[in-house]
Amino acid sequence: MIQQLFGFLSYYIPEVMVIVLMTTLLVAEAAVKDEHGSRKNIYTYALVVLGLTLIPLFQNLGKAPAHIFFNAVTIDSLSTITKIIMVIGTMGSILLSYTSKDIYSNLKSEFAIMAVGVLVGGMLLASANNFLTMYVGIETLSILSFVLAALKRDESTSAEAGLKYVLYGGLSAGVALYGISHIYGALGTIQFTEVFEKVAVLEGTKLTIVVVASILFFGGLAYKISAFPFHMWSPDVYQGSPISVTTFFSIVPKLAAFSALVRVSMVFFNNNTVLTNAWVGLLLVVAAMTMTVGNVTAIGQNSVKRLLAFSSIGHVGLMILGVAVLNEEGIRALIFYGIVYMFMTLCAFYITSHLNDTYGTDNYDIFRGLIYRHPLMAVIMVGTLLSLAGIPPFSGFVAKFNIFNIIIEKRYYGIAVVAAINSVISLYYYLRFAKIIIFGKADGNEAIAGFSSFNQAVIVAFFIPVLFLGIFWEKIFAFAGSATVFLK
Amino acid sequence: MNGILNWILWMPIIGMVAVLLTPKAKENVIRMISLVNTAITLVLSVILYLNFDNSTADMQFVVKIPWIEHFHINYYLGIDGITMLMTFLNALLFFICTLSSWTVDKSVKAYFALLLMLQSTVFGVFFALDFFLFYVYWEVMLIPMFFLIGIWGGENREYAAVKFFLYTFFGSIFMLVGIVALYYATGKGPESFSILALQGGRFVNEVVNIFGYEISFEKIFFWFMFLGFAIKVPVFPFHTWLPHAHVQAPTAVSVILAGVLLKMGTYGFLRIAFPIFPAAAVEYSTLIAVLGLISVLYGAFCAMAQDDVKKLIAYSSVSHMGFVMLGISAMTTQGVNGAVLQMFNHGTSTAMMFLLIGIIYERSHHRWIVRPDGTRGYGGLYTTHPKFTTVFIIGMFASMGLPGLSGFISEALIFLGIYQKFTTITVIAVLGLLLGAAYLLWMFKRMFFGPVNPECEKYSDMNAREIFYMVPLCICVILFGIYPSPLLNVMKASVGQLVELLAKF
Repeated sequence: MIQQLFGFLSYYIPEVMVIVLMTTLLVAEAAVKDEHGSRKNIYTYALVVLGLTLIPLFQNLGKAPAHIFFNAVTIDSLSTITKIIMVIGTMGSILLSYTSKDIYSNLKSEFAIMAVGVLVGGMLLASANNFLTMYVGIETLSILSFVLAALKRDESTSAEAGLKYVLYGGLSAGVALYGISHIYGALGTIQFTEVFEKVAVLEGTKLTIVVVASILFFGGLAYKISAFPFHMWSPDVYQGSPISVTTFFSIVPKLAAFSALVRVSMVFFNNNTVLTNAWVGLLLVVAAMTMTVGNVTAIGQNSVKRLLAFSSIGHVGLMILGVAVLNEEGIRALIFYGIVYMFMTLCAFYITSHLNDTYGTDNYDIFRGLIYRHPLMAVIMVGTLLSLAGIPPFSGFVAKFNIFNIIIEKRYYGIAVVAAINSVISLYYYLRFAKIIIFGKADGNEAIAGFSSFNQAVIVAFFIPVLFLGIFWEKIFAFAGSATVFLK
Repeated sequence: MNGILNWILWMPIIGMVAVLLTPKAKENVIRMISLVNTAITLVLSVILYLNFDNSTADMQFVVKIPWIEHFHINYYLGIDGITMLMTFLNALLFFICTLSSWTVDKSVKAYFALLLMLQSTVFGVFFALDFFLFYVYWEVMLIPMFFLIGIWGGENREYAAVKFFLYTFFGSIFMLVGIVALYYATGKGPESFSILALQGGRFVNEVVNIFGYEISFEKIFFWFMFLGFAIKVPVFPFHTWLPHAHVQAPTAVSVILAGVLLKMGTYGFLRIAFPIFPAAAVEYSTLIAVLGLISVLYGAFCAMAQDDVKKLIAYSSVSHMGFVMLGISAMTTQGVNGAVLQMFNHGTSTAMMFLLIGIIYERSHHRWIVRPDGTRGYGGLYTTHPKFTTVFIIGMFASMGLPGLSGFISEALIFLGIYQKFTTITVIAVLGLLLGAAYLLWMFKRMFFGPVNPECEKYSDMNAREIFYMVPLCICVILFGIYPSPLLNVMKASVGQLVELLAKF
């Protein structure tokens, strides 16, 4: 038994490292004095350990997939790749929180601690192999997120964001749990591997119960990925939270939830025609509504954070389509989208963060005439916006192309047309934004100070993948394609 | 010779990098780099023409390198007769535009860098034989255009730039859906993104199931492609972006827009929409002809009502591109020959008109034929500006289709071709010629004749640089009006193959 546990642990090194990191960060934060030098050391420590976590993660990719901890957790390529992206996303957000002035300076390390905590929850969610682990994963993720959202505790918007997040989170978690209990009642198991076999022979009342229960359960995950109609919290939370938190929210919890959604869809709804049809229908409708609502609402926004929040809802709509096709190509497109989206988000928020610090607001107008005030920032921001809109040669186009690919392969022409129209709508508000950056005239054209060469190097480093993956995407595409769901 | 397309395609990018590496303050160095660069490209395209084999309709100078092997996407270039003409036109117009942009003094470095980038992407669209590559160039082209219109344009430039970008994107995103649908309809094979392999009516018997109704694959996706190209041409009712973009764009960009970019739309019909969906194209040819006819007449009537001379020429483009659509929809040898010839000739003659308007605008800073308060914007240019008037007359008559100048040959061929198919439409379309003569002559009368406007006396006549870059266009317009064979011979085989294919359906 003990020996078996140690055997499991060899798969679980990344998580252990992250957990150790979180606890040591907590101790270190308490131990060090409030000096800038020692804080810098804490940040370096966190980034180095997270970077080191990538090594065992890549090693896990090479190993045969396995269910560990007595089938509670599964380590397969889908979960491992998701974890790799999440770790990189967390590193980017921590880096941003270090340079950002949006969080009170006496609070900064708390962000790192809690972000790493959310990462632990996300990793658990990504590899959950039964409903209980999944629920624990969602909750670990959520509870720390609530605190993160309210991190600027003296400001009413941040407090509002935190409260909103708690209320929505509590409600949707309850609904999801309600769904899970019905599924357990109908099937007699919470283990995914057993569920996979049991749903195949499901019929009659039990089938009806499972269909309804699965829709309830979807609520829990839909809330995390901010899909329609559970998206209402996200703009307020995005706007109210500090920018590094917003960045973090738009990457890590979303990807974790997507990974769980993929797993559930593949084990649950791929083995029974009635269930599959109900699920695919639900996902298609949700996807169409999500992107339409997100993109249409984004048009009128003047706050950059809100705009990016609504645009991210639009992107989520496209990503859901990667789940809805229920095949390996779908997973590949989704993972690729996730990677690309992460870099675009990091770019956009990194720049917004600095301008927000300089002007104390995240209104549109801070970008006016940016090209005259800081050309590098402006060029990268415009490139990122065009990439978000899906214009070649940027990677956002490739991501969108892959989504079109998988839905048309399934002959879902109707949804393809909806996605096409949405692309045009999204282009409109991205262009409106780009227009302000390039064509706008600022009141004074003084150069923007304080964007150190380190920061410039960081945004260039984030932007390189955005451009590079639009042209030479075959390697990363193959990497995303190696993500498969392990079913025994 | 095999890599020459690579050189032509990437030469402007080399120039762009050189421009970007030059310090901002050295504006004349930047201008010289662009000029030399476009001159090299022009020489290369002449070399290409000299080595071009007229006798075959096959693709020549083919380059094929795998790009994304998973989807069988290739970096696949090649040209045939139709593309050859467009390549030459593109190289020529960009060379001339660099010269005409000498007076641009706002962010010179960015301007020339974007202009060169635009040239490369336009070459890319014409050379690409891989559908994915084609789409990438088609879209990338929007980025430099957006900034060129939006930064260096007129008063209402931002609106025009956004409208241009959105309209084109709206069409092309549907084209993307069509491209992917074609990929799966061919069964994801190694040739699924090859434009050539998709041609020839392979999808005649394919059906699509939409909400339980079986609809012909061709009939649906022909319209997806149609939308993408029709917006670009632009065919009525998708033309509304064009007057804004043209009027607001700086002179050089208007020239490129009218001279080359509009041709990408009709080129798309000839290379993609018609050969890939021949049955649908034949079935809907009457509808396309009617849309072309409406473009001809509507464009001409709108042109007649304009008080802004640039807007007048912009609407005349709608009218002239309508003739191209008429020629294409005829699907006869003369018709398509005429259409391709008209693509070239409209490129040269409209370029002349826009350049001339740019020249006078630089001096007067307005473009009113009749100002909103009712007074004449110009008047008596005929007596005060003899050189300007001479060149203007050549350009205007070429545009009008006067025998002996280039526009006549192509329009005559189009009418010959279309008369066999749509007699009524031909008769009505002839009215378009009449209207064309009317609005151009009326404009000429109001600007060049009449009492001399005292303001106009202050403007200098054309200088040596301006004369220098108008000469090649004048030669093209006159030479190909008298002796069009060099152009017709080049495209004969390619057009013949297309007409032959369409005749089978």
